Amino acid sequence: MKKSVKSIVVLVSICAVVSVLLALTNAVTAPIITQNEEKSANAALLEVLPDGGSFEKADITAYTLPATVTDVYLSENGGHVVKLNTTGYSSGMVLMCGINPDGTVSGTKLIASQETPSIGGAAAETYAAAVIGVDVSTAEALDTISGATKTTAAYKNAVRDALNTVIILGGGSVDLRTEEEILADALNEALPAANGAFTKHFFVEVTEGVDAIYFADNGAGAVCVVDTVDGQFIALDDSYTVITACDDTVAVAVKTAVDTVRATTTTALDLTAYAGLPEHLVKAEKTASGNYVMEIKAAGYGITGGDEYHPASGEYIMIRVSVTPDGRVIDCLTLSEEETDGIGSACADETFYGQFDGKTEETYQNIDAISGATLTTDGYKKAILRAFACVKIFEGGNPS
Amino acid sequence: MKKNSNLSIVLNGIIKENPTLVLILGTCPTLATTTNVFGAFGMGIATLMVLICSNVLISLLRRVIPDNVRIPCYIVIIAGFVTVVQMLIHAYLPDLYEMLGVYLALIVVNCIILGRAEMFASKNPVGKSALDGLGMGIGFTFALCVIATIREVLGAASFAGIAIPFLENFKIEFFVKAPGGMVVYGLLIALIGALTNGKAPKKKEFSCAGCPSAGHCGNACTANGKENA
Repeated sequence: MKKSVKSIVVLVSICAVVSVLLALTNAVTAPIITQNEEKSANAALLEVLPDGGSFEKADITAYTLPATVTDVYLSENGGHVVKLNTTGYSSGMVLMCGINPDGTVSGTKLIASQETPSIGGAAAETYAAAVIGVDVSTAEALDTISGATKTTAAYKNAVRDALNTVIILGGGSVDLRTEEEILADALNEALPAANGAFTKHFFVEVTEGVDAIYFADNGAGAVCVVDTVDGQFIALDDSYTVITACDDTVAVAVKTAVDTVRATTTTALDLTAYAGLPEHLVKAEKTASGNYVMEIKAAGYGITGGDEYHPASGEYIMIRVSVTPDGRVIDCLTLSEEETDGIGSACADETFYGQFDGKTEETYQNIDAISGATLTTDGYKKAILRAFACVKIFEGGNPS
Repeated sequence: MKKNSNLSIVLNGIIKENPTLVLILGTCPTLATTTNVFGAFGMGIATLMVLICSNVLISLLRRVIPDNVRIPCYIVIIAGFVTVVQMLIHAYLPDLYEMLGVYLALIVVNCIILGRAEMFASKNPVGKSALDGLGMGIGFTFALCVIATIREVLGAASFAGIAIPFLENFKIEFFVKAPGGMVVYGLLIALIGALTNGKAPKKKEFSCAGCPSAGHCGNACTANGKENA
């Protein structure tokens, strides 16, 4: 009994003494360790803002900042380092952006990323050098790098977010809305009665002076975009009379356009009645005014770059296109696509298919290809060419 | 050389009973931290500090610690010192701390330290225990540095992080990888065996005589042990 008590007492005492020893050592070393860690964190910040001196983490809870911003550090010299977490080709792209007191980018550094090293990773390195010295006014003009569009676009947006963050922290205000949000807000403002639900009209009639028409889903009227550069939005009420104050010529043009498109009627064409139509033509309609509306399959990325569907998905790209009898594209829209996400999938963006508006057989080649997706672009162009060919057959009236 | 003289205790750890090359103890840190001479030296010195401190304290407490709880007591003492050393290195030598990583904390389970506590410090006075810790620590550091020098010079064409320009184009990466470490380690053990001409304790003899610490062992069988010194 006595022996076991002694064992316990000795072991507990040794433990107690060692604990005290550890506590004392910790009291001495802990502050130095914290200091060291701060110093090494500081060194990382200095890499992107070499003139920064020392840094202090800024309290950003009171500000509405771009969603990608995770931390902001204030430097001694009045500059900022913004830490951002964004999504390039894959998520988890963390980078730091240093901004000089004069609002120019002093340097950026990719801290962590899952980007393909030989493509996105290499592009990010090139890009890091390219963004040095840009400010809010020049950041938008940076070109993305072909083949790594997603990575570099994310990089560019992150830099823009960082620059905006500094403006916001400085008391300025920045429009953080995306393009879609800006459009939605403008539509809602022009016609509040629609409750924000609009459907973009697919043009099958040639209209002058109107770039786009958005019909309210609840029948409350429509909003016409008259000049996308100035972003003039003209609203019409439920009886389709112009309610937004504007020039008489504009009002007349808008009224004419809306009345024209509302009066349109189409009849389906019997495809079997025509010889020589390509098998890619799925559906065709003819308007009372003689225009053709077609749904056509376009080749995607292809198995061998030929006229095929996308090998991974087994799907074609579906296109709706309206063409005048004399062969001019009125409107073009990608209905569905299963292209490689992040590359060929850009063919579903209006910035791509909107380029075909107004094109003819002579000019349809003059469009900007999707960066890194030449085969998808070529397949799309081929489909547009087929649309022209179909119109010729329809117009030739060659019923078999 | 008189057996158990102070000098012989120190030399014993460095040469005749070198913990790494003769006793083959602490092989894990030996293989892991010998890719760089700086890291190997730091590891050696850290182990040396812990060895001396734990040997001294265990020797002081050798009459207090009851036999049945001696191993937990040794482990607590060793772990305490290792943590102290770890915190000191973290605070004052952050580069070394980064380099050694988890192996620093693993000094706790380095069998050299526990082995010396059990075999020597618990049976010998404070002064001798301190000298044994010093000798064993130097022996460990020395062995690590020799292995690290071979591996780093041949494998990374540098010495303690300083590049050797001449060898830059003749790096043999094999040596900085784990298999290279084992090969160098094995060859050194063979070399030591050849140099001592079999005088080093034979591992095959599992009797007391074969025990490298037979000379210091307090057990009765020591008298029959074959001693070379």
